[in-house]
Amino acid sequence: MSKHLKVALVDDDIPNTEVLRDFLIRNGYSHVDKYHDGESFLESLDRFDERAVVLDFDLSGGGDLNGLEVLEAIKERSPSTHVVFFSGQDSLEVAVESLKNGADDYIVKSNAAFALVKTSLDKVYDIQVLKLNERRSQRISWMMAIGWMSTIAAVALYFAGK
Amino acid sequence: MEIIERLSAGDPEKKKYYIRLFLDTLEPELENLKGADVAAEQEPIRAIMHKLKSQVQTIGAKDAHANMAKHEQHIKSGGRIDQAELDETCQLLSDLIENLQELLK
Repeated sequence: MSKHLKVALVDDDIPNTEVLRDFLIRNGYSHVDKYHDGESFLESLDRFDERAVVLDFDLSGGGDLNGLEVLEAIKERSPSTHVVFFSGQDSLEVAVESLKNGADDYIVKSNAAFALVKTSLDKVYDIQVLKLNERRSQRISWMMAIGWMSTIAAVALYFAGK
Repeated sequence: MEIIERLSAGDPEKKKYYIRLFLDTLEPELENLKGADVAAEQEPIRAIMHKLKSQVQTIGAKDAHANMAKHEQHIKSGGRIDQAELDETCQLLSDLIENLQELLK
């Protein structure tokens, strides 16, 4: 099943980004873009309206912005975008600082990391589907209410005319 | 290598494509490490090890990953590595590159 969630991978690690992108596509994410520096990603942010971003914390090999600066810019311009920090730093302090700055998840690059990224994105996707279903149910409820009111009005008019 | 095996799903060309991707980074960075001045360039050495450790982990090179993770952490916490330790890392990377090149044949 294709998951309609726009995902951006922002990481200066070219081979691992390519492998992660293929892994996510293999797991149903049909729209996965990759960027190797924060600047090019931020340029595209407004145009493509990414819903989830997997962001390297370090980014020192690509551009002038580090991960925290990119996170700040994302949260300023698109607060609802889900940001997963994907970091080689296995440090509780760094993880806490990331979450304090608005990251939604922090995953250390490890053997299980790709699967953990998928799990994090699955949660975002599930919430997106739930919200969509909620909006649909609300629309149906409104349509039913309008239908009932129209029927009642028609019956009232019928009897008023008699 | 497990993830690469899984993603290439028996397609040898796809597997070679992934291996070349990793070699494109590993080979020049190994040269950078070999040419590094261990007395004056601890931070650049740490940065290269930080970059490569995730890649060698994806490939499944546990020894090289453990070696670089240890040295990276050591330098980060104010320590220094010596020439013998750097040579050991270079040797592990060199062996890994050789193994990957074998897989391309």
